[in-house]
Amino acid sequence: MLTSALQLVDLTKRYGKLTVVSQVNVTIKSGEFFSLVGPSGSGKTTILRMIAGLATPASGSILLDGKEITGLPPEQRGLGLVFQNYAIFPHLSVYDNVAFGLKLRHLSESHVQTKVHDLLDRVGLLGYEKKYPHQLSGGEQQRVALARAVAPNPKVLLLDEPLSALDKKLREEMKFWLRSFQEDLTTTTIYVTHDQSEALSLSDHVLVLNAGRVEQIGTPQEIYESPASMFVADFMGLTNRFEGTVTAIDDNQAQVRLTVGFEVTATIRNRTFEVGQPVNVFVKPEAISVMESAATTTSTVNSFEGSILQSSYEGALLRHKALVGNEQIDIYAINTSENRFSEGSKVRICWEPAGMVVIGVNNNERLEE
Amino acid sequence: MIRMLRENRTVVLALPVLVFFTFFFIVPIFTLLALAFNPKELGSIAIKPVLTLENFKLFFSYPVYRQSLINSLWLTSAATAICLLIGYPVAYMIARTASKRVQAFLVILVFSSMQIDLTVRIFGYLTILGDNGLINGSLIRAGVISRPLPLMYNSFGVIVGLVNLSLPFLILPLIGIIESISPDLLNVARLLGCNRWKGFMKVELPLSVPGIITGVLFAFAISMSSYLIPVLLGGWGRAVLPVYVYQQISNQGLWQRGAAFAIVLLLTNLMVVFALIRYYSRVYTKRMLAV
Repeated sequence: MLTSALQLVDLTKRYGKLTVVSQVNVTIKSGEFFSLVGPSGSGKTTILRMIAGLATPASGSILLDGKEITGLPPEQRGLGLVFQNYAIFPHLSVYDNVAFGLKLRHLSESHVQTKVHDLLDRVGLLGYEKKYPHQLSGGEQQRVALARAVAPNPKVLLLDEPLSALDKKLREEMKFWLRSFQEDLTTTTIYVTHDQSEALSLSDHVLVLNAGRVEQIGTPQEIYESPASMFVADFMGLTNRFEGTVTAIDDNQAQVRLTVGFEVTATIRNRTFEVGQPVNVFVKPEAISVMESAATTTSTVNSFEGSILQSSYEGALLRHKALVGNEQIDIYAINTSENRFSEGSKVRICWEPAGMVVIGVNNNERLEE
Repeated sequence: MIRMLRENRTVVLALPVLVFFTFFFIVPIFTLLALAFNPKELGSIAIKPVLTLENFKLFFSYPVYRQSLINSLWLTSAATAICLLIGYPVAYMIARTASKRVQAFLVILVFSSMQIDLTVRIFGYLTILGDNGLINGSLIRAGVISRPLPLMYNSFGVIVGLVNLSLPFLILPLIGIIESISPDLLNVARLLGCNRWKGFMKVELPLSVPGIITGVLFAFAISMSSYLIPVLLGGWGRAVLPVYVYQQISNQGLWQRGAAFAIVLLLTNLMVVFALIRYYSRVYTKRMLAV
């Protein structure tokens, strides 16, 4: 199946005086699963609508396989779109919904039938041909919308928060199903979501948007392991933030003296820091190990004595709040017998330098220039 | 007593309407029905226990009465069709107006045409459509025509009047239905390969059929029963059925005949209404539009 690459160049959108998308530059490779992620109002849906031809950019251009499509009406772009509310045609049967785009292409009736049959099979809705949308559940409607969008072999598939209307359990199932569906099709896919975990688990690359501006573009790992700004770190759900100053740099590790008095060692990735530079550091809750304070540890850095302030039992996961000095530290641990601690017990907590993220204090200002 | 009232709250709340409806709608209709089957008697409106079909026989045996029913049907159908042709684009435009303020203003504009008394509106038409009216006067002065065009006292005049009368009733229900069709449906159709027009024809038009049916029902019923417009803009040459109902009662004083004519009018109207509802339910109940 043919797939296409998409490029956005200086894409900008204004509503009156309000700039909702500001100079977005990104190249999406052919066959990629690419996510646009950001809080509501960050402009991600507007970008998707501009790609689809449903909104007109104020400036900038959209290139599909190197060809400019910025001014083309939606029907000439050859893209597929699934809306958040699915937008299934309520007056048409499942069959006619999926066949809608195929019939417009003047294909033979038998070709249409084969194609619709094949697609309904793929999305697990064989036998639903004669049903009408109101007879379908949310998950079924969503799969009809998906089958309808991919039926005419679109060059790029655009998905606007397709999972957000489903309940949590179904959403988890659909997430994995969607990824394997896309891998089968190999169609370039652009996925809009406000859910960072969806974006991380589905995508080849993720673009993080904040107020219409690109905060960071990278693989899920790059985004999560080394967020480029405080916004990204916060959006990706990083906690245990401390302020500090770099006291020494050694290869790819930095010594940071925290304002609360501790000295920590953190791995720095692809970024340069200077001694004396003020920074923010994060300790990932899942990177922290907890052990009884009497236990011996080989670790010489990032090892602290403290006590368990609070511990909540969440099935597979245990969430501890530990107190080190006067600081509270969130810890996520797998629920095993050696990770269970009662509240008030004295513990030793430690983490590898790689479990930390360091961000220069002025990084946000740099991004907003 | 109070407990009983509380338990039957719906009934109690509906009681005033029920009483009103019974006295001012059901009773008159049945009086009319009974009267239509009584032999004619000058000036009498008392119901007698004598049944006859003579009033109906009379109606169908005189060509002038039969013709009035045909006039009613075709003038109303033509007016309703023109209403739909004019009204649908207007309703569509109002329903798809992005600014809620502009939209409210346009809806009020549609309503405002209903605010002016019908007689006043008709006299307005006389000054526009008459031989010395705005249109003929200007055209003659401009030298386009030498004799006035027949714009009034014919079918044209009646249709113009009926369209004016029933247009708002067709537009208003349509606005609501078209507005309830998600614009995303059209967007999806366009991405699948429809141009603007094709998307409208394949998605928005079929989904607005319930609104079309409702609007047509309103427009048809209102035009069909109109008396003033055919009389003032049509003249006797285009007499419609309501004109003869009025004539039988007011001029002749024969309530029984007037009642029979009115029943014919009512039944014709009901037949059209049921035909439309049947068509609607055949097409739509199976699908149960859940937009």
